[in-house]
Formats: sequence, structure tokens, C-alpha cells
Amino acid sequence: MVDEALAAAHPGARQRERMTLATIPGLPPVLACLALFLAWDLTARAVAIDSLPSPWSALKEVPAILGDGEAIGNIFASLRRMAIGLILAIVCAIPIGLMMGRSRAVAAFCNPLMMVIYPVPKAALMPIIMLWLGVGEAAKILVIFLGVSLPVIYHSYQGGRAVEEKMLWSAAAMGMTARARLFRIALPAALPEIMVGVRTGLVLALITMVTSEMIARQNGVGNILFNSLDMAQYQTVYGMIIVIGVLGFVLDAAFQMLRGVLVAWAEPAQPIIVGST
Amino acid sequence: MTAIRRSAIEAAIGLVPIALLLALWFAVATSGLAPPALLPAPQTVLLRLFRLLGDPQFLAHCAVTLFRLFTGFAIAAVLGITIGIAAAGSRTVAAAVTPLVRVLAPVPKVALYPALVLTLGFEHSSKIALVVADALFPILLATYQGAAAVEPKLVWSARAAGVSQIRCLFTVVLRAALPAIMTGCRIGLVISCIVVFLAEMITSTDGLGHMLVRAARNFQTVDMFVPIIAISLLGLALNAGFNALRARLLVGYPEEA
Repeated sequence: MVDEALAAAHPGARQRERMTLATIPGLPPVLACLALFLAWDLTARAVAIDSLPSPWSALKEVPAILGDGEAIGNIFASLRRMAIGLILAIVCAIPIGLMMGRSRAVAAFCNPLMMVIYPVPKAALMPIIMLWLGVGEAAKILVIFLGVSLPVIYHSYQGGRAVEEKMLWSAAAMGMTARARLFRIALPAALPEIMVGVRTGLVLALITMVTSEMIARQNGVGNILFNSLDMAQYQTVYGMIIVIGVLGFVLDAAFQMLRGVLVAWAEPAQPIIVGST
Repeated sequence: MTAIRRSAIEAAIGLVPIALLLALWFAVATSGLAPPALLPAPQTVLLRLFRLLGDPQFLAHCAVTLFRLFTGFAIAAVLGITIGIAAAGSRTVAAAVTPLVRVLAPVPKVALYPALVLTLGFEHSSKIALVVADALFPILLATYQGAAAVEPKLVWSARAAGVSQIRCLFTVVLRAALPAIMTGCRIGLVISCIVVFLAEMITSTDGLGHMLVRAARNFQTVDMFVPIIAISLLGLALNAGFNALRARLLVGYPEEA
């Protein structure tokens, strides 16, 4: 079996694979979700405590959350902040990363700073940033921006570093300026790797958003979670967790489709991405 | 010689932005541009950190955080490496694990925290469970990818020499995948560090994260900076320590880019 799995790592083996249930697209994740709900159901039956309702009662709560005007307003407000923070981070991070990838001096300048910032829990800066910027939108957007920037810079840097030198030389020989080379050669060539960074950033934006709202507790999805926890509305807590979970999965899947359109020429990406604050 | 000089120059260049950032912080704080209630001077924060290092109460908070961090990380590492190797060794396991990971990996694990608090209580276990949930996936994925990329000829040779399939997983695949596993563990360790702090900020009565929240409620700005700097330094130290461990364990392995 070891040999089989290892042979599967080689491209030729893929084509010989038989049609099984697992090869039907879209089915395995659905089965996985069902398995998770079943496991949850069994645990809930086994422990039988109020604070762990059955998954079906939590699922019933989802339409109620989505039908509630205030809750849906909170969710959209959260998503709007997330989108603004993410877009700002992408716009700033990609040029920085690309310049680091194309110039050793810029890389040497930025790398140690990034290394120092890397282990700082960004969502934990929320109380300090709120002290400076107040409790409004700006603080929340800034935290998301900080959380997302690093992976996008890192992957743009890796992508920029791996650009084929000959393409840049050819472009230079044809009289392209340095800036044009950066945006018309290095950027498209690094795009597949940049997309990996943006995908990590997307997942991270959601995580940072939920975490910072849990810490600041004013509005948004994180606040709904803890409000209902404090009021012992356990079904709502679990229903909201399902909503956030689905949101993460759907955003990631949607980005994968977008990626397929933008960089169809590149090798398919890793199917799974991991993000954390 | 020139290579050494070049890397020395690059290291010096790298210190510039960090020094600039500190200088900017110092300048803004001391010029009176920002009142000390909003931005304490860097030396004040550092002095407080040094003084607290001798304070048994602060050290107790650190110990609680470290205990949760390492317990969670250890569980995640054992689970992640075992499942990753098993998935690389068996198609059945891979078929079961891959869709589960695919569904769970992009889900913000921190959203599970209220559920963990409800089921496991406010004490250690809910925070440790959150650390496990967050650190598991990078370790699992790195192990799986590393193990799936092991040179098949190594496995064939071992099998031809009469090693059983299960033993082969441990003696050949696990060792050959070690560089990838170590990378996954290093990422998982820093993630654990961050997650344990956040969990303590959200609900806790002790730990570094709780110190930050308590200081924020009392508007003690200096005490807000200290835990953040402490946890970041801890993350940096763990990262560096793990790199050193990795270098020791991976003596003789081909150098990674």
C-alpha cells in the first residue's frame, strides 16, 4: 500500500485511477460534512448536556440567524470590513513582495523586520489600536490589514524570486524599463505564487476578523457568538459557528474558482490551504 | 570572504528598519506628540518587562500560558504526524482524511472556541483544544506532503530487504519526510503561541493574554504592551530554538532552499 500511495504521487498513476465514489467531484466534502455531523450527533447523545445540542437543532437555527435583520446586518458589516482590509493589504503587499523578490537589497532590508513581526498576534493588538483609533471601523480594518499583509508579502517575495531570469533579460534587451519589467514580466510570472498568498490571506482575514470581534465585542459575527453564549442561547452559538464555518469554506472555494480563471495556465495549486492568526 | 562580507552587510541592512521603527516609537513618545497614556516610551515598556521578570505573579501567568501552549502543541504534533504518515501509507486513510481536512482547514478555528468553552469549560482544556485545532492542520499537511514525496526507490529497497510495510513507514518514510515534518511543526509551534494568547484574551482568568485584557480594562497602557512583547519574544525564541533543533536533527540531510 505504501508503494501504491507513492506511485500515486507520480503523474502517470493518476490516469490509471479507477472511477470510485471519491473521484466524483464535490461528493467527498459533502460526505465529510455528513460524517462530522454524525460524529457531533453521537457525541451529543452520549454526553447529553444542555451546552451541546444536537447538530440538527443547531442547523435549524441557521435560517433563523440569516432571517434576522440585525444578525445579517452584522454579518455584512463584518464581511465589508474584511473585504476592505484584504484589498488594502493585497494592494500594498504585492508590490513590496515583488520588489523583495527582485532585489537582494530590498529583501535584506525587509526580511528581518518581517521575521520580528511574524510571531506577534495581530488580533491581540486590537485593544491598543482601539486606544489610538477609537472603536470605529478604522481599528478593525487596520487589524485585518496587519493580519493579511505578511503572508501576501511572503508569497509575492517567493514568486518574485522564482521568475525566470532570461525573460527579464529579454525584456531588458527589448528596451523595457525596470518598472515595466516589474509589472509586465515579474508580476504575471509570479502570479500563481501570489495567488497562494492571497488565498492564505483570505482565510486569515476571516480568522482575524472573527478573533478581533471576539476580543473587542462590539458588533459583528464574533460578538453575536459571545452574546448568545452569555445569554445561554446555545443553539444560536452553534448555528453561528456553522455559518462562519460555511463562510470560510465557501470563500476559499470561490477563490479557487477565481484562481482557475486568472492563472489557468499554471500548475493546479495545493487543494488545501492552512491559515492561522 | 566576499560572501561573508556580503551577508554581514545584508544583516546590517536588515537591522535598519527595526532600528528606525524603534527610533520612531521613541521620538513620537518622547516628543509629546502622543500622550504617554496612549503610547508609552519604549524604554518604559522594556523596564517594566525586566522588572516583571522577577515578579512571581507574572512568572505564574507565563507558566500557565507555556503549559497550555506546549500541551496543545504536543497533542497536535503527535496527531498530525500520525495521521499524515497513515494517510501517505494507506489509500483508504487518505480517502477518508483528505475531504475532512479540505472542509475543516479553511474554517476559522477560533469560531469553535465558544463551543469548546461550552463543552470543555473555562479552564485549561478548552484553550488546549483550540491550540490543537489550530496547530494540527499545518503539521498534518506538511507530514502528508512530505511523506507522499518520499523517493519510492527508498521504500522499494527497504521492502526488498524484507522490511514489513508498517515498519517501513516508521523507518523509511518518517525519516525521509523529517525535513517537511519539522517545517510543519515550526509553523504549528508559532501558531500555537499566537492562538493560546488569543484564547486567553477572549475568556480567561490567568495567562499572558488575560494580563493584556485586564490592563486594557484599567487603561494601563504600559501593562498592555508588556504581554504582547512577551508573547512575541516567546514566539521568536521558540522559532529560533526550533530552527536550531532542526539543524541538529537534520545533519546529513540535503540542504533545503
